[in-house]
Order: sequence, then C-alpha cells, then structure tokens
Amino acid sequence: MSEAARELHEALNLAGDAVERDKAGNATIIASECADCQKRIFPPTDVCPECLSENLTRLPLSRRGTLYSWSVVHAAPKGWSLPFVAAYVDLPEGVRVFAHMVDVDPADLAMDMVVEVCMATLGTDETGATVESYSFVPVKEGDA
Amino acid sequence: MREVAIIGAGLVPFGKYPKKTLADIAWPAVKQAIQDSGIKKNEIGAAYCGTALGGMMAGQRILKIVGLTGLPIINIENACSSSSTAFREAWIAVAAGIYDAALVIGVEKLTKFGGGTLPLEKEDWEVAHGLVMPALYAMRARRYMHEYGLTEDQLAMVSVKARKHGGLNPDAQFRDPVTIEQVKQARPVADPMTLFHCCPSGDGAAAVVICSAEKARQYTTSPVRVLGSEINSGNYMTGYRDMTSPEITVRGAKQLYEEAGIGPEDVDLAEVHDAFAIAELLYYEALGFCARGDAAKLLEDGETSLGGRIPVNPSGGLLAKGHPIGATGVAQIVEIVRQLRGQCGDRQVEGAKVGLTHCTGGGISGFDHGVCSIHLFAR
Repeated sequence: MSEAARELHEALNLAGDAVERDKAGNATIIASECADCQKRIFPPTDVCPECLSENLTRLPLSRRGTLYSWSVVHAAPKGWSLPFVAAYVDLPEGVRVFAHMVDVDPADLAMDMVVEVCMATLGTDETGATVESYSFVPVKEGDA
Repeated sequence: MREVAIIGAGLVPFGKYPKKTLADIAWPAVKQAIQDSGIKKNEIGAAYCGTALGGMMAGQRILKIVGLTGLPIINIENACSSSSTAFREAWIAVAAGIYDAALVIGVEKLTKFGGGTLPLEKEDWEVAHGLVMPALYAMRARRYMHEYGLTEDQLAMVSVKARKHGGLNPDAQFRDPVTIEQVKQARPVADPMTLFHCCPSGDGAAAVVICSAEKARQYTTSPVRVLGSEINSGNYMTGYRDMTSPEITVRGAKQLYEEAGIGPEDVDLAEVHDAFAIAELLYYEALGFCARGDAAKLLEDGETSLGGRIPVNPSGGLLAKGHPIGATGVAQIVEIVRQLRGQCGDRQVEGAKVGLTHCTGGGISGFDHGVCSIHLFAR
C-alpha cells in the first residue's frame, strides 16, 4: 500500500465494538451482561459461559477504575510502540481489563491508583496501518 | 488401573540448533531413552509426542528416523505443558492396560522464530492488545512485591540460584553464574524483570519409556514409579482475580497429594515451571513447600538450593537449563528420574526418594494459566 493510500485508511480499532465513542471522542468500554444470570463478561461474547444463554446485553463499563498491576514492556512483537506500559485495570462492574497505560511517566504509577479510559494509538499492524484501542491514563488530582 | 514405572530416560542438551530440523534435534533423545530402558523397539505399544510449535506430525517425523513406525503415534499440543500432557496420556493408556509400554517425547525448536518473546495466539483478546508472557509475569511480580514485600534483590536471587544449579548440569543452556547485581542491571524486558529474570529461547528434546510396574523389573534394576499424575485447565475468570496465587497450581497440587496419599513434606526435590523468576516463588507456596508470603524467606534460607530441605530445580530449571516449550515437561521428568537413580553427579540431591514435576502453559486471556500438569515419582 502506498503512503497516500495508507493515509486514507482510518486507524484500525483493535477493540472493535467493545469500545464506543461519543461525539466528543470520549471512549467507553463495553462488556456483555447475561440477561438471564447477570454474569458479566469481558471481552463481549455471544454466549454466557455460566448458563449458556445467548440473551446477552451490552453493558457500558465505568470510565474510571483502579490499577491492579503494570509493567513497562521493552520486548514485544514488531509493530508495538516500545516501550509501552501494560496494565490490568479493575472496573467497578467487577470486570478486569488488560490495556495499555498512556501519557504517563512510569515513575508516577502506583498500585490501586485511579485511572480513566481513553483511546490511544498503540503501534502499527503488518501492513503498516496505525492501530488504536482503549487505553488508560492516570486521573490527576483535581480532575472532576 | 495398574501401577506404571519409567524405565528409560533420554535428553539432548538444551541450546540453539538452528541448522538442525526438529526431527534431527529429537531422535538422539529417543534413542537414548530406548537404549537406557533395555526394551526392544517392537515392545513399545504406542508413542506420544508433545510439541507446541513443532508443526504437523512431529512424532512421525522423528520416529521414522529411528525406525519406530506402524504403531499408534499421538501428537499433542498443550503449550508449555505439551509433553507433560503427552506423558499423562501415555500413563493413562499403560495404567489402563491398553499398552504394556509406551514412549513419550517432548521436543521444540524455537530458533526457527529468530528470537524474541514466544509467539502467542493472535486470536486471543489480550495477545491482540499486546500482551506478551514477560509482561504477564511482570505484573504478577509487581503485585506480589506490593502485597508481600518481596524485594528486587530477592527476586534476582531466584535467577542466581538457577544459574548456580545450571552450572552443575552439563545439559543446561546457561552454565555461567550470575550475581544479584548482574541480574538487576541486565537489559530490561518487562520491568521489574530483566533479561536474566526470563528463561532463554532455545531448542531441545527429551524422551522417556514407561511400562507397567509389574514388567519394569524385566528391563531395569532402577525403575521409577509414577505415584500420581494430575492435569487441569485453568478456571476462566473475567472478573478480578488474585495474581499472587496461581489458582490452577494450588488446585492441582491439592488433588495430586490426595491421589498419591502423600504431602509436600514428603517431597525430596521438585522441578517447577520457573519460566520467569517470580513464578518459582509463587510455586513454592502453591505446591505447599511454604506458607503464603514466605517464598522469599524459603529461598533466602537456602532451603530450595542444593543441600537445602527441598531443592527446587536442581537442573537449573527453565531459567538456566532452558525452556524449549514442548520439550520441558518430559525434560523435567528426565531430571527427576536421574536424581532418583542417583545419576546427577555434582547436582545430586542426596538420598532423594520422591520427586515432583510441575509444568504450566499460558498466554490466553482470563486464565491464571491455561493448563497445569503435576506429577509425583518415587524410587
């Protein structure tokens, strides 16, 4: 693909419909909730692993959660922007999400700190197209 | 079910063999295991070959070289537990009386990928978002440090011990010692882990021959009995989970000790899945060698070093002996067989009577590990 053609392509959203954006661009992560047994599953699924119901609804998750753990990753397959911060974030709905932390100095990260979801560019795919997905940033003191 | 014993063991030194085919890496281990067992080729009823990334029909590719064909050859993929799973399947078949003897092979050639982190399944959600194995273990390490006060020096000591043991093992990929400072100063991979907290990429193969315990004495004066065999998949959990305690290993160990009728205090040595330094510490606790939160003390006190109460990874473990994925499960069993026979020279665990092997396999979202297999052996 030529550079010009590449620019015409939008960034590839790795999360697909597991993330929604409002008009202002604010991202919300979507889980599945079983309408029959209320089990919550992330990433979204077509069948409940608890009761096998296919009656699942889309559950928007809170935009803020807490940082369970993280690592600054220096070795990963080609395409990822290195180094990056890999993290597990616990959301209040009882779901844990793997994501990148962005716009942060790793020295400022702390266990169980409050973080907020955003969309971020994370690297490129095999064709050289930009890839993006939901990510998290620390919530600064004083932020509403 | 009848009792089963290992009668032969073979292993090629782990290392880098980029110019050899997978089959050429493996056949010497197979030949060694068969010759060590004293069994005739035509007495082997079936062969089980574990490899994670070795491609189609690895078992047939290997066994045609040594002329062991026409029998059932079963190829098994179960990530890092591929060959420990193969061993268990062979054990089930011999214990059930379907075959009197079986061959188990573990083999991998990782140099074909040219280095770097282990290639994982891209269809997996977290892998597609950039999860690599070092990062997963690093996040376990960081949370464990936070909850139990593990220090960076203590974490580095796992690698120091592994290299010390590996230096005594001629089959180990890494035989040079390292210091705590060298581990901490090595190239960062996924902090808090450096290159020396991570097992190396490499190639290797191992094989064992098993038969019914009743017939074992026909072939060898030193059979090693299989006391118990356990395998589980992880529980899929999409919610919060405690990453400082590997649920699948805790569960499997409990089941295995009950099945074998012994406890962790009866185990003289163990080969555990120390793919990354933090893992070994988590497994001390999960396998019952110490209480929750006491792993660093057990290590610092020298209890898991050669000469200690429960030497762990006398072979050097995955960190020093190496970790050619599919070869690891059987390679751990080969080490236990040789230890129980008293064949380990400078790294011999004196008077070892009962040995344990523990192998996991991960890299799939929502699991502590996708698979865990644990075995107990006795002389």
